[in-house]
Amino acid sequence: MASPRTERPAFGGVVPRFSWGSSLAVLAILGLTGYSVAGTGFNIVELLRGGGAAERFVSEMFPPDLSAATLRAMGAGILETFQMSFLGALLGAAVAFPLSALGTREISTVGASRGERLLLAVPYHLSRMLLNVFRSVPDILWALVFVVALGLGPFPGTLALAVHSAGVLGKLYSEALEAVPSRPVQALTATGASGFQAFLFGRLPQAMNGFASLTLYQWECNIRSATILGFVGAGGIGQQILISMNLFDYPKVATLVGATIVVVLLVDRFSAAQPREVPEEELGDHEEERRAAPDEVRVAPA
Amino acid sequence: MKGVLLDEVSVGFDGVAALSDVTLQIEAGEQLAVIGASGAGKSTLFRALTRSVALAGGRVVVGGHDLYSLPRRSLGELRRRIGTIYQAYNLVPQLSAGVNVSLGEVGEMGRLGTLRAFFAGPDAGLSRRAGAALEEIGLGDKAGVRTADLSGGQQQRVAVARLLVQRPDLILADEPFAAVDPVTTERVLETLLHLNREGATLLANLHDVEVARRFPRVVALREGRVAFDGPPERLTEEELARIYAGDPHGTENGEGPGPPSARPELEGSFRLAEGRDGVSSH
Repeated sequence: MASPRTERPAFGGVVPRFSWGSSLAVLAILGLTGYSVAGTGFNIVELLRGGGAAERFVSEMFPPDLSAATLRAMGAGILETFQMSFLGALLGAAVAFPLSALGTREISTVGASRGERLLLAVPYHLSRMLLNVFRSVPDILWALVFVVALGLGPFPGTLALAVHSAGVLGKLYSEALEAVPSRPVQALTATGASGFQAFLFGRLPQAMNGFASLTLYQWECNIRSATILGFVGAGGIGQQILISMNLFDYPKVATLVGATIVVVLLVDRFSAAQPREVPEEELGDHEEERRAAPDEVRVAPA
Repeated sequence: MKGVLLDEVSVGFDGVAALSDVTLQIEAGEQLAVIGASGAGKSTLFRALTRSVALAGGRVVVGGHDLYSLPRRSLGELRRRIGTIYQAYNLVPQLSAGVNVSLGEVGEMGRLGTLRAFFAGPDAGLSRRAGAALEEIGLGDKAGVRTADLSGGQQQRVAVARLLVQRPDLILADEPFAAVDPVTTERVLETLLHLNREGATLLANLHDVEVARRFPRVVALREGRVAFDGPPERLTEEELARIYAGDPHGTENGEGPGPPSARPELEGSFRLAEGRDGVSSH
């Protein structure tokens, strides 16, 4: 039997000890908070005082408009949103895959001449740059661009989703491709496989499993994005919400917003039920990565 | 292939020398065991032989070609004649055993054949050579099994079958027995020696001195330099003590300080080190 406790358990060290560094960090956060509050005119009192207007707006939304015409419009909007998001993810994936393959680092350029190395670096940097542009411009901005270029409707919205998805998926794919244990790939190149062959048979099979779930995830994000792309006229249920808002038809807005919330919740549910694949192999291979690393980062003397 | 020559080869990682002025002449068809404490540069030596590591100095000549000045295309052609087998198997775990074995032939495939093989379904079957190789190592019925689902020993046999398919002129075996059971060790060693009898030069990197003694020539590395080069009979206890002296990483490979064979309980037997040293069977 354990001896009776004579002393309460006590320990510490979870919170770091006072230091100039940590107090500086606290000061910086406080300073930034004040600066941002001042800059945005953030005011809790005003939020409470404005309660009346918000209440009026909400009360005008009820009862929601459940007429057949509104429900039809709602259904059409949701379907269109769905179609846009699916096509966007699919086209995005189709563009992302070859770009990410090009944007994956060649395993080893040991002993390669300057010219050979340059030849390998050009497609890498080009595809990386392209993917970065696709990704860092938000989809709503792409939608704005395409609406201006092609006119209103779901088509420019789909294109916007496709371009942004291509950027996001391209980055995710090439991250997956580069995170793969490199030794099997090196074993292939060491015995004469070309870079293309090593990619197809060594790198890709190890990363491929993750691609499907990444793409599904992007589709899910696209459904969320597609609901608001309509605000710039790029189709989907958002466009209907915008039109009804402009007509002060708040009951209809209520129905449409409610439908959007239901769709997003459903997507979340679906996504949570979806088994996210994190294969054990990927978890166990950091050791290998570390061991393989030193000569990968080295640059051969020219 | 005309054998291998390392001419004052030096390799460094971030300023730390892994190999210093290593000079070795290996004739075609020779059998050579490389021993040494962990961190002595054994693996680095092998990587230099496939141009997988940058040289800080010296020259590596394989089959009459200066390896480090070859253009890419010829490098691929030369590498096709070099077969490798590793402690960590280094197979593609998601592919079937049959495909991993067939990858021994991938160097001979053209672009079109590569694409055809990539898009061929799982029922495409194996080449006669790959099938025979799998039979030979006793895994004829495992061709369709995902490699990750095989045991460590079976995976190492798959790696050997890949060598059989490739039929290389130079075999680099980097600690091939460190993670497998004694039965597999014998089986793998037998196959490697068989390939050697058919003309392949065999270089094996071994942590077990007893296995190394079965090779006609033993080279020992110590701190990146050649510390011994000769027949195993000359490998006395004093010699071994010198080779393994002050091994700071000795325990990393499951080896105690001093020569592995000096530990009586392990003499003449092989350790089961699966799952150690960063090796996982999956």
